[in-house]
Amino acid sequence: MSATALEVRLPRPPWSVRGIVVLALLATAILSAAYLQLGTHSLVPSAPGLHAAQKFFVRALSPAVAHESDVPAGTPPLLVNALRATGMTVFIAVEAMSLAIVIGLLLAFAASSAWWMGDPSGAQSWWLRVVRRGIVPALYGTARIVIAVMRSTHELLWAVLFLAAFGLTQSSAVLAIAIPFGGTLAKVFSEILDEAPRDAATALRSAGASPVQVFFFGLLPRALPDMIAYAFYRFECALRASAVLGFFGFPTLGYFIAASFENLYYGEVWTYLYTLFVLVLVVEAWSGALRRRMAI
Amino acid sequence: MAAGVHFQLRGVGVQYGDCCALDSIDLDIAPGEAVALVGPSGAGKTTLLRLLNGTVRPARGTVAADGYDLAALSASELRRVRADIGFIHQDLALVPNLRVLQNVLAGRLGRISFLQGLRNAISPSRQCITDVYAILDRVGIPEKLYQPVHRLSGGQRQRVAIARALYQRPRALLADEPVSSVDPARARDSIALLTEISRERNLTLCMSLHNVELAREFFPRLIGLRGARVVFDRSSGVADRELSALYDLRPEEQAS
Repeated sequence: MSATALEVRLPRPPWSVRGIVVLALLATAILSAAYLQLGTHSLVPSAPGLHAAQKFFVRALSPAVAHESDVPAGTPPLLVNALRATGMTVFIAVEAMSLAIVIGLLLAFAASSAWWMGDPSGAQSWWLRVVRRGIVPALYGTARIVIAVMRSTHELLWAVLFLAAFGLTQSSAVLAIAIPFGGTLAKVFSEILDEAPRDAATALRSAGASPVQVFFFGLLPRALPDMIAYAFYRFECALRASAVLGFFGFPTLGYFIAASFENLYYGEVWTYLYTLFVLVLVVEAWSGALRRRMAI
Repeated sequence: MAAGVHFQLRGVGVQYGDCCALDSIDLDIAPGEAVALVGPSGAGKTTLLRLLNGTVRPARGTVAADGYDLAALSASELRRVRADIGFIHQDLALVPNLRVLQNVLAGRLGRISFLQGLRNAISPSRQCITDVYAILDRVGIPEKLYQPVHRLSGGQRQRVAIARALYQRPRALLADEPVSSVDPARARDSIALLTEISRERNLTLCMSLHNVELAREFFPRLIGLRGARVVFDRSSGVADRELSALYDLRPEEQAS
């Protein structure tokens, strides 16, 4: 019996893990929603809640320009307060980012596989082999673990920790932001470095440059525009984190937002919120201008 | 001026996995000689060039530069040999977001310390800038000294790549299809420039080229590669018949 084209059994596609993973994720989403009893029935506002919300959002159109209550003599005017709180928010964010960038760069170099790749050509001396097979992988592994620990805890939790340890000082706020941000920067910087085009690095290597020179003059410059763009994004996040740390009592925007909100001075809340909004816009405009100049 | 590099290949074979990239190659390239490598894509031209500066190691045989077996050198010795050999890459391999000056300065990293390199990157000395300017003037783009490379045209970028290789102060120049990305007139110009400079400075020049006409016009010696082997090596007059056989699309056995 000769098999015609129609009788030929088509090969079955290979068994795919991807499909099962997607199905499992979908099922998890549905089950979690059921467990949490999500739904519009839980979003019906109470009558006083609705009233308060209405009052709050109406004030968005008329933010306060002066204190909404009698303040003790000697209290600076509201706008001066807002300006000072903004300054404090920016200073803490700037210091935290400066520290985070130093931590991030150091850990990123250790956790990037790009710079320590041995030169496959060229005979190796025994000590170079020890460095490449032992010391470098150990450094790489340690850096990866340190980065994971730093990132796994949110800046608010670090703040709780440092508040308990050092009290309500600006240094604890800076450290609380710098540690998780340093970890995130390190992770993303190392990925950017590993994915940067290696053409210039290869060219420098073939012109006799040492591995360290190849890294700093061939690879880093190619990765730098992306690294700068990401650092700017994180600076924006740091501003928000710095503002929110005010809820713990640091004199940043969050402190005044929380105080005014508790006293139902919604006009003041909006004044502070708008200041934060303008701050983020300014950073965005600055980073946009820089990116255009670097032509990313 | 120091004499060019002397390259010697003895029974060289290169293996990429199961694929034989080059097989039993014996070649002598004398100091100051200008050689063009011609042949179809995949014939092994790039591999041959990369053997010469030790970026590819032979599976069989030896590659020697000035008598030093490249496979036997330590990493730092190999770096010293490479500092003497300029390589112009097909994709140019420049850093687009840095200025022309910085890109050209990077050519000499193999001869200076890390700290000197850092100084060059931040504020290069007057002497360095003068040297780079002179080389840019020689390749015809002195006015681009402070331009970022991403603002330059394809032809100008190619000049930067040539300038970087020259600033290296090499004794040999290797070029892998250096003109494949520019129009015929500019290609001719660049090849004329490279052969002229190599003659002036007595550099050994070895260039792979797709354009056989240019190769015949500018190079006294042509090496034809096909299917991982040298099929001809002529210092005078390659016959048209040999060239058409070189690029014949039929498999080896039928081509000859």
